Amino acid sequence: MSSMPLIEARGLTKKFRQAVKEPGLVGSLKHFFTRQYRDKMAVDHIDLSVEAGESVAYLGPNGAGKSTTIKMLTGILVPTEGSLIVDGLVPYEKRQQNARNIGVVFGQRTTLWWDIPVIESFNLARDMYEIPVKRYKQNLAEFTELLGLAEFMNVPAGKVSLGQRMRADLCMALLHDPKMLYLDEPTIGLDIAVKDSIRKFIRRLVDERGTTVMLTTHDLGDIEDICNRIVIIDSGRIIHDGDLGALKDNYARDRVIHFQLARPPESMAAICAGLPACETTSDDGLRLSVRFDRFQYAAGEIAAAVMPHVEVIDFHIDEPEVEDLIRKVYLGQLSLTAPESTAEATESAVATGA
Amino acid sequence: MAARLRRARWLVYIYFRCLGQQMKAILAYEADFVILMISAALVQITGFLFIWTIFQRIPDINGWTFWQVVMMYSLVFITEGVGSLFFEGTWRVSRLIYNGNFDQYLLRPVSPIVQVLAGAVGFNGLGNIITGGMLMAISLGNVQVQWTPGRLLMLVILIVSAATIRVAINLGTAASAFWIKTPWSLVPFFVHQLGEFAKYPITIYSLAVQAMVVVAIPFAFVSFFPTAYLFNMEAWSAIGLLTPLVAVYCLFMAVTIFRIGLRRYESTGH
Amino acid sequence: MRGFNKYFAMAKASLEVIFVYRAGFTVNLIGSVFYVVAMFYLWQTIFLGKPGALGVFTWPEMKAYLIVAFILNSTMTWFDEWQMGADIREGRVATDLARPIDFQLKRFAEASGPIPFELASALAIGAVVAFVFGGIALPADPAHLALFIVSAALATLLKFSIIYCVSMTAFWTTGMEGVSNARMAVQNIFSGALIPLVFFPDWLRGLASVLPFQGMISTPALTYLGAMDGPTTAFMIGTQAVWALGLFLFGRLLWRSAVKAVTINGG
Repeated sequence: MSSMPLIEARGLTKKFRQAVKEPGLVGSLKHFFTRQYRDKMAVDHIDLSVEAGESVAYLGPNGAGKSTTIKMLTGILVPTEGSLIVDGLVPYEKRQQNARNIGVVFGQRTTLWWDIPVIESFNLARDMYEIPVKRYKQNLAEFTELLGLAEFMNVPAGKVSLGQRMRADLCMALLHDPKMLYLDEPTIGLDIAVKDSIRKFIRRLVDERGTTVMLTTHDLGDIEDICNRIVIIDSGRIIHDGDLGALKDNYARDRVIHFQLARPPESMAAICAGLPACETTSDDGLRLSVRFDRFQYAAGEIAAAVMPHVEVIDFHIDEPEVEDLIRKVYLGQLSLTAPESTAEATESAVATGA
Repeated sequence: MAARLRRARWLVYIYFRCLGQQMKAILAYEADFVILMISAALVQITGFLFIWTIFQRIPDINGWTFWQVVMMYSLVFITEGVGSLFFEGTWRVSRLIYNGNFDQYLLRPVSPIVQVLAGAVGFNGLGNIITGGMLMAISLGNVQVQWTPGRLLMLVILIVSAATIRVAINLGTAASAFWIKTPWSLVPFFVHQLGEFAKYPITIYSLAVQAMVVVAIPFAFVSFFPTAYLFNMEAWSAIGLLTPLVAVYCLFMAVTIFRIGLRRYESTGH
Repeated sequence: MRGFNKYFAMAKASLEVIFVYRAGFTVNLIGSVFYVVAMFYLWQTIFLGKPGALGVFTWPEMKAYLIVAFILNSTMTWFDEWQMGADIREGRVATDLARPIDFQLKRFAEASGPIPFELASALAIGAVVAFVFGGIALPADPAHLALFIVSAALATLLKFSIIYCVSMTAFWTTGMEGVSNARMAVQNIFSGALIPLVFFPDWLRGLASVLPFQGMISTPALTYLGAMDGPTTAFMIGTQAVWALGLFLFGRLLWRSAVKAVTINGG
């Protein structure tokens, strides 16, 4: 058993049948008699295996098949073709048994009961998952502390803020000690501080409890802080599957800091001289951009180097985005070859676009 | 076998745990639930006034007297009340499936059907059960029936069976949402409206209507046949004994349809 | 004239919404036919079993009564306490208040918009039911038909006014489902929708005659049948008009004072 991966998918496929229908009443009537359908391949023969303890970022543009895959893994959707085994079970056949092994957080939806206090939702989970009382108390105490749930424990889920709800949902998903945690956009719409605490929490879970995590996100920060493997899906097919090292070193290391200036700088050369390894540009005189390597400089150092030369009104830092990353991989501008080891990854992966 | 029984008992416990939470949530709006109960009682009182007015003019409808028809009415309302109070969740299925929120039922280690049934509470049901129960008691008091323990037991079995049939119809038609995606309970409402035919003796209808409420959607077993049995109404009386069997059949069909639908669930969000 | 156009546009928009949801609408309508059909069988049994027991009406007249009641009941179905209650609770009212639009007239326009479609559907279904059950009595004469149309229009205004007034409870309770059901229960019995009011015993008929609900079904249906003499018809339609307009104005008053209370309390 232990030699088997936790998730093992072979040729996993999901086709949706879409009605071919002209708009309007006439179209509806025609469809009623002709019944024409078109198959849409949401997930197209993918192979995926995930070992226990891995933390996988499952990425792709909207509609690529991310959620469909996760829904098959959780047992919500029945695959059209292919084989799938999660922790020794076929999820859709043994859905309820599978549910005991997994925790699920969908960022857009809650698993909490809307009208009842958060704590009551947890207590219901305790009964539904038949969590031993002692274990439940331990987990609840730990998660309450780590996620800061105490302040809204007695408020109905429908009345807490989005950030609070996400934290409560995470707790809800983990009370029964699942081996596998699925996260679909866990930080969507949250502010930086909450995002940060959630990421730290999940990372801790991976490190300390050995929970296997699979997450989809549009936020590169989630991936950097949580994951050690990245899988990219597009149009239902996996186009990349590999280590995260290459991404971290070759793509995500660049940051751009933009300054809004009161007056055009007197000497660009002076600024550039202060930032030797950076690419400094100033497009219309009042805006100044510095591209830098975040492992070489801290954002504060850049600011400190620029400030003496110009009067800064405002500044902001561009974070790289997942969409940008996917696009670069897709266009072949960024190669994230699946390496044997992390050390090789650093050497072999080349950011051709940079 | 013992394990199965334990599992079933546990499911019942989970069902009442969920339902209890829903009740608590609703009781938070005290005025609302009082209004709901009163309105349900009002609907029945007007229904009762209607039959009463008719029977002021005529002695019977096809051999059925006032109190016998009241008995049918009370069965319609009690079963309706049981449906709302304990199994209102069936009416939420369409919306849950339409906006993809049905997912959450599939992510828990509990039968989704149990979760559906416990998904909501309609306190108007309590009003229906109370007034329906009162009407039934008055009706039974006004009709000459030899009450033996056996018949009394049968009364209880018939009420439970009738309620089961109605809930099964609600559940089975709610499963239509796996095929027909609308935010409203279209098919369930449509079929529920057929229940209008359960209020009066089926002998007044044409053969087509009779076939529909006896065979297709057996609303006749909610009110007509049980009443016929209790009051020894000629040939119909024996068929009333089939009511528990019809209940089991309906429940089996509803669960089967629901399970078939579940495999088609597409989890689309709107 | 420009003021009127505004509301006409709202009514039109509301009609278009019905077209978008026509599948749901049609199923609802067909669902409500079961009720009418059950009623037809019930009354058929009563009339054919005991001819003359219900001396006031003949069977064709009773059939006409049931069809008229069905058609009148099928208008303004998309305007109810739930919708109004949700508008009030969820603060959509505030955005309406900020516009140069009369709140009540806007609701009236939206409630009336779908009427052409509702009426057409109900007439078609009513015709089929009437045909299956062997035809119904026609209006007594052209004059009564004209009076019936007036009375039916007043019945629709009356329905709007009553629902509008009842909806104002949304300022105090969230339980609009119960409020709506209670209103319908009372309305069903006292409007004559369930049973012609003449069949009531005196005490119940007396009660019905001092309530506004009889104007919703009974008055137009009896006008159609020509069951009342000239002066009575005039009096009943007059009463109907007084109730309809009175409650319409009362609704305005309720709205104004409720809004004032809410804005003062910062509800």
